[in-house]
Amino acid sequence: MIYLPIAEMTVNALLVLLVSGGVGFVSGLVGVGGGFIMTPALMFLGVPPPVAVATGASQIAATSFSGIMTQTRRKSVDWRMGMLLSIGGILGSATGVWLFERLLQLGQLDLIISMLYLVLLAALGTLMLFESYAIWRGRGAKGVSVLRRPARTIAHTLPFRIAFPRSGLYLSVIPPVALGYGVGALSAIMGIGGGFILIPAMIYLLRMPTNVVVGTSLFQVLVVSSLVVIMQSARTQTVDLVLAALLMGGGVFGAQWGARLGAGLRNEQIRAILGALLIAASLKFLWDLVVPPAEPYVLGGGLW
Amino acid sequence: MIRGGIIALALLLSPEARAQETPPPVGSDLPAAVAEEQIAVSSDYRGSYMTIFGVNPDRRGRGDVVVVVRGPSHTATVMRKRRVLGLWINGDPVRFSEAPSFFAVLSNRPLRSIVSRETMWRYRLDPAASARLASTVPTGADPSAYRAALVRLRRQQGLYQEYAGRASPDRRGGLTTYQGGLFRAVVRLPHNAPIAQYNADAFVFRDGRLVSSQRIPITIERVGFERDVHKLATDASWLYGIATVLLALLAGWVAAFLFRRT
Repeated sequence: MIYLPIAEMTVNALLVLLVSGGVGFVSGLVGVGGGFIMTPALMFLGVPPPVAVATGASQIAATSFSGIMTQTRRKSVDWRMGMLLSIGGILGSATGVWLFERLLQLGQLDLIISMLYLVLLAALGTLMLFESYAIWRGRGAKGVSVLRRPARTIAHTLPFRIAFPRSGLYLSVIPPVALGYGVGALSAIMGIGGGFILIPAMIYLLRMPTNVVVGTSLFQVLVVSSLVVIMQSARTQTVDLVLAALLMGGGVFGAQWGARLGAGLRNEQIRAILGALLIAASLKFLWDLVVPPAEPYVLGGGLW
Repeated sequence: MIRGGIIALALLLSPEARAQETPPPVGSDLPAAVAEEQIAVSSDYRGSYMTIFGVNPDRRGRGDVVVVVRGPSHTATVMRKRRVLGLWINGDPVRFSEAPSFFAVLSNRPLRSIVSRETMWRYRLDPAASARLASTVPTGADPSAYRAALVRLRRQQGLYQEYAGRASPDRRGGLTTYQGGLFRAVVRLPHNAPIAQYNADAFVFRDGRLVSSQRIPITIERVGFERDVHKLATDASWLYGIATVLLALLAGWVAAFLFRRT
């Protein structure tokens, strides 16, 4: 048992380490950031949602930094693209933190977080199930692509086009900044990294080569989550250093271990199980929103 | 307009309205003390107990003892869930300008049989009596329902407690009286109770009237590492955020380094 000085509550340190290690392990295995599992897991453990969201960002920063160390060695980061995404991300996360603060005052933060998670987890779970089903069916066939990459997208026709030598692209700066903005805002409100939105968008919308996509998105996630931690600390004081240290300890090592194990593993089954789990979690959020509450009154306005 | 006037008049006469007045000051003629004037919160803090001792000045031990432990008052908002498009969302907020963040009342027998409802509100011996309504309630809603909801929700969190009678082996909290007018009140302080300056007020009532009273301050504070963390988070919040990020980068680097080697 350990006391969290900001959340002002006691948690079982071992349990938090196990949960964060488990989440890290799964995320390393499947190749996702894990923020979208970690934050709801913390809420289920009884950590107030604002603290869970803000503190979760610090664990995302840690995981993405350890990921980026590996990626830079492989020279698979498009720095120019990463910078543009980050500029959008910084603006987006500032908006997100501001919104977070407003919603906290209005007493609607918990509700908005639940609703966003409901949609996000359901969408992600369905996507993962379909993907693993497609892989399972298409086994033996060469190269499975669920979506065909379009030749030209809006990114190629908008103004302010510049060259991205690393990716071998020549496209407008507007889509990367806008993309970064949206992901940054979600990241601040939900405590997620946003890699699972960034990566598909970079592949299908910006048409970036797949070998630079992961490293570049990690760079954006690192910049944005670091800033979210700093801004949340300054504005809402909801970052709990003790909880953050526990999450980092469990999460980072779990992720590395999972990635090591996942490298030589067929993972469509794991994806299918994770997909089903995400759908189950989203149903839990839906249940809480739809079922008439036993206690019609709630305390609001503050953190607790 | 007329209806508003009637409601205002009704409020003026109700005990709720009385509670809006400042309570009479607590005296200093009751010999009482706390076992620990300071309660330290460190990393293994799991809540604590507060013990208040005192002696009923009446030689024959007549009268009833009431002890109130109160945390600082803060604003509070109570919302009622509303159904919108099939979803239950928080709506109809009612604000309290003052509500005790922690409230425990202990008495040697049920409070209702010691003092009248009037006196209870006057000395704020009840958590509901200590909450001040700041905003108007939505039309058609009952202000006392909100007040009751505040007390109920805080009671579920263990922040509002009521004890009548003595402590027992399976319940450490309670008020026990001994020979010679000595009494001991024990309050369970849950781990989620705010860390602040508390007051313990001890009262002796006889025939429903206040005979003597005393106020004793109790400080709950973080010590050591917990204090440093909290101090940094509030006083130097930018630095605190940067330190957290640096810690994250360090953790990431260590993990990447270790796993490259193996």
